[in-house]
Amino acid sequence: MKNNCLDIGTIQAFLDGELDGVLMENAADHLADCDDCAISLANSEEESAIAFTALDAELNTLVPTQRLWAKINSEIEREKKPFWQTAFAFFKNPTITAFASMLIVFGLFMAYLNSQAGEKDTQLAGMTESKTVITKPILVSKSSDPIETPSENNSPINIDQPTVKSKSDFRVIKAVVTENQPIRKDERTSKIPDEVKAQPTSYQYLPGEESYIKTIATLENNVNSRKDEVLKPSERFTYEQNLAIVNDSITKMRKEVKKNPRNGAAKQILMASYQNKVDLLNSVTESNELMALR
Amino acid sequence: MIQNLKIKTGIILSIFLFAAAISAQVPKPVKPQFPKSETPAEKAIAVDAKVNISLCVAKGKINVNGWDRKEVRAYVSSGGSRVGFKVLKKDKDEKAVWIMVVGFDTREIGASQSEECLSGDDIELDVPRGAIVNIKSRDSETKIESVDKVRFSNVGGNVFFDNIANGIEAETKQGSITVGNSGGLIGLSTTNGNIVVFNANPSEVSDFLKVHTINGTITLQEIEHLLLDVNSFSGSIKFTGEPISGGQYNFVTQSGAIMLSIPQESSCKVNAFWRSGAFNSLIPMQNIKKTSVSGVQNLTGQIGGGEAMFNLTTSGGRIFIQKSDK
Repeated sequence: MKNNCLDIGTIQAFLDGELDGVLMENAADHLADCDDCAISLANSEEESAIAFTALDAELNTLVPTQRLWAKINSEIEREKKPFWQTAFAFFKNPTITAFASMLIVFGLFMAYLNSQAGEKDTQLAGMTESKTVITKPILVSKSSDPIETPSENNSPINIDQPTVKSKSDFRVIKAVVTENQPIRKDERTSKIPDEVKAQPTSYQYLPGEESYIKTIATLENNVNSRKDEVLKPSERFTYEQNLAIVNDSITKMRKEVKKNPRNGAAKQILMASYQNKVDLLNSVTESNELMALR
Repeated sequence: MIQNLKIKTGIILSIFLFAAAISAQVPKPVKPQFPKSETPAEKAIAVDAKVNISLCVAKGKINVNGWDRKEVRAYVSSGGSRVGFKVLKKDKDEKAVWIMVVGFDTREIGASQSEECLSGDDIELDVPRGAIVNIKSRDSETKIESVDKVRFSNVGGNVFFDNIANGIEAETKQGSITVGNSGGLIGLSTTNGNIVVFNANPSEVSDFLKVHTINGTITLQEIEHLLLDVNSFSGSIKFTGEPISGGQYNFVTQSGAIMLSIPQESSCKVNAFWRSGAFNSLIPMQNIKKTSVSGVQNLTGQIGGGEAMFNLTTSGGRIFIQKSDK
């Protein structure tokens, strides 16, 4: 055994993926060279596999575990409480109270500003030009760059009196206009070069995504109408659990792809999740057909 | 008075006609009930060496064996259904090339109205080695060995295939599938159950291996197919063996782990995607490119010459590559 061999704790951390990037690399390099440590790793892996197999029997069982029943019971107890008790308990938290107060103040402030403006917001597509007026941004930008605010903007902007702002002071997503004149694209880009390009109003489907969505919708209609008859309670629990997992993945990946259409990894996981959902719904549909054979 | 008489006559006549109508009803046909055989049922039939055999099993333990005779023998243990054969197609030499094994004796009168599915504690079939076997079952434990091709569908119960020469298509809803020492195109699907495949090879270059389970693990060992399509929703996927040059290995799981156990001198590329999990490789990789955008990770790398391709996708599990003993 070499002097710089890894201890069992490090090996376990390596197995669990808990080491930092540099430590991980060093450990991997050492394991590639040191037979003793590789044997220790294999033994740890085997033990983990045994443990996971045992846990797998518990976690993947079709019967809800004691832990789950306890959670369900506590949820039922929680729902039994009167609403005012629940709300009171929630707002007792000083952080929540402070945050709620801030929200209320901010809301009142925005209401005051809107009442002062006295103008209607327009949609970006129908945006018309205001020659010199650029107003305070209403929505937070979705881009990763922080929104630059005017240096003098500690006080609210007086919208009634148009003021000329420096083009590089801030970025605007949505503008309140005062004149109904159509904008020409080149004018808009030339006058406000720092303007953040608006998010597309409709989500652009990836190739094949639309047919996945239609297939899933059809299968879901079929499944939802029959799942109570087809699935036993334990099977229903497993099905709902799997459905929640895959729906969560689809929602997050769609959001990521929408935000960054070039994220190939997110697209890959999104498509895989769609396929998994189709397979899951198909498994219930096929169970429905085969129920007739029993 | 005459009127009263007419009324009475009409009433009596109506009663009489009503009684006649009731008695004149055709009796409902009663489905002949064939009692369960108290002795074992056994039948045999001469067939072509490449016969196509279909059967349906309601419940029981099924055992199908290939043998060298051009004959199909069917046996059902006592307490089960009877057994018979329906010849669906013959060749020009009058040899049966497509038969159905049924749960009644076809020579008995009225037997055609009985249930066609076999049932019994033990159901055995001896068939030619070149036979194609098609089984639809409800609840059964099944073992099929040494035939040419199998199509199997089951609602509940485990199934084991061994030495199937040219292809397996099997699905079960509740149960595990095990395949060993088999070849050809293999397609396996289970909803709740594990899948194990070992020593599988293609009959033709285009034969692929497609394995799918919703809740269960998939274990693959010594697979020589060039195209693997493996999907487990919530279980893990474990692959052991040397990747074939030119092979494409697509492993997808929603929340399970993917574990590759390959020789250090393997030659493959790895293209891994994961969201919340980890990627570990005990085998040094070259040309590593890793991107991480909003928690979605992608890693590409190469081991050796990069002649095979592993596409690994997991949303919530981890990916682990380790050296195998070979």
